Amino acid sequence: MSLRCRNRRMIVGLFAAALAQSSPALASGWTVDPARSSLGFRGDQSGTPFSGRFSRWRAEIEFDPARPAAGHARIVIDMSSATTGDGQKDISLPQSDWFDLKHFPQAVFEAVRFHAKGGNAYEAEGSLTIKGVRRRVILPFTFVQHGCVGHASGSVELLRLDFHIGEGPWASGQMVGLGVAVTLDVTATRR
Amino acid sequence: MPSLPRRYDAIAIFLHWVTALAVIGLIAIGFVMTRLSAGSHMQFMLFQLHKSIGITVLVLSVVRLGWRVTHPTLPLPIAMPHWERVAARLSHAFFYGLLLGLPLLGWATVSASPLKIPTMLYGVLPWPDLPLVSDLSGHGRLAERLGAVHGFGGLFMGGLLIVHVAAALRHHLIMKDTVLLRMLPLLKPVAGPTQ
Repeated sequence: MSLRCRNRRMIVGLFAAALAQSSPALASGWTVDPARSSLGFRGDQSGTPFSGRFSRWRAEIEFDPARPAAGHARIVIDMSSATTGDGQKDISLPQSDWFDLKHFPQAVFEAVRFHAKGGNAYEAEGSLTIKGVRRRVILPFTFVQHGCVGHASGSVELLRLDFHIGEGPWASGQMVGLGVAVTLDVTATRR
Repeated sequence: MPSLPRRYDAIAIFLHWVTALAVIGLIAIGFVMTRLSAGSHMQFMLFQLHKSIGITVLVLSVVRLGWRVTHPTLPLPIAMPHWERVAARLSHAFFYGLLLGLPLLGWATVSASPLKIPTMLYGVLPWPDLPLVSDLSGHGRLAERLGAVHGFGGLFMGGLLIVHVAAALRHHLIMKDTVLLRMLPLLKPVAGPTQ
């Protein structure tokens, strides 16, 4: 696959492409298409589900499905870009009990390697840092590639208190559920 | 008995009855929401509705007080003994105090709450917290005390409401004057039964 992408690029872009591919480390690099990618979350308040999304994040992804263990990814999330479409929640999220934007404007997911789980199933093994709390996270996802375009989709269940999200009177989980699903859907082009 | 030919104007009647409905709703919602299991969806929604209606009553009551100051109230029937006049004026003064004071107390309770749930009136209009009070919201004691006083105030309002309705019915059914009729909406101008 990667050879075909590289060849196509060579035909189209000649020297520019040749330069871009000159470093072997970049051979499995991907360029995320923001318009066809999303990072979201789902939770529940008093048993009523809600969902939200982060509109601003950037990802550096090195992933070769043939050699997943050599891969690496780093996603930096602008926590101020989170919206749920509900005014009360959107006003609350930046507060210190929740994301505490003043002190922790960014969250980082860093995958140090990938694992093939058979078929199109994979896992990203790494760490997630929110509100300054770094925890080991395994993100299961599926991956399919058509030509140079790859599509990865996965989700992971987090316990919000692991990252000090929803502290103080919210820590009991009585009003807002403790489990939060984070969903990642990425469409990217192989470089 | 002299006639009371005039009725209250449409604005005064409108403000009176909208406030009446809102206050009855607030007492009922307040009673129910504080007895529901904590954290339930219904409780959350009722709190939001209670806040929305309460702030509406605050705004209406400021308008109403302004209207009352610029549009003097109709005279009480001359046949009324002195103590009844005092009681009527006193109860009306209590009403205005509660109509302004209870929403302010409720607003302070919300502002002092460590939950810091933002107020969106009727789910759409953002309403700020009281600045000085929200700075004291670190621990829940203040919000608890304010809420307790607010709740007792609500009970007092309920009692006053019963006295108010009883007095209006007494005027209409026993004293047979126009005190009730002149505040009823959708009536033709009252000529006064003794005129």
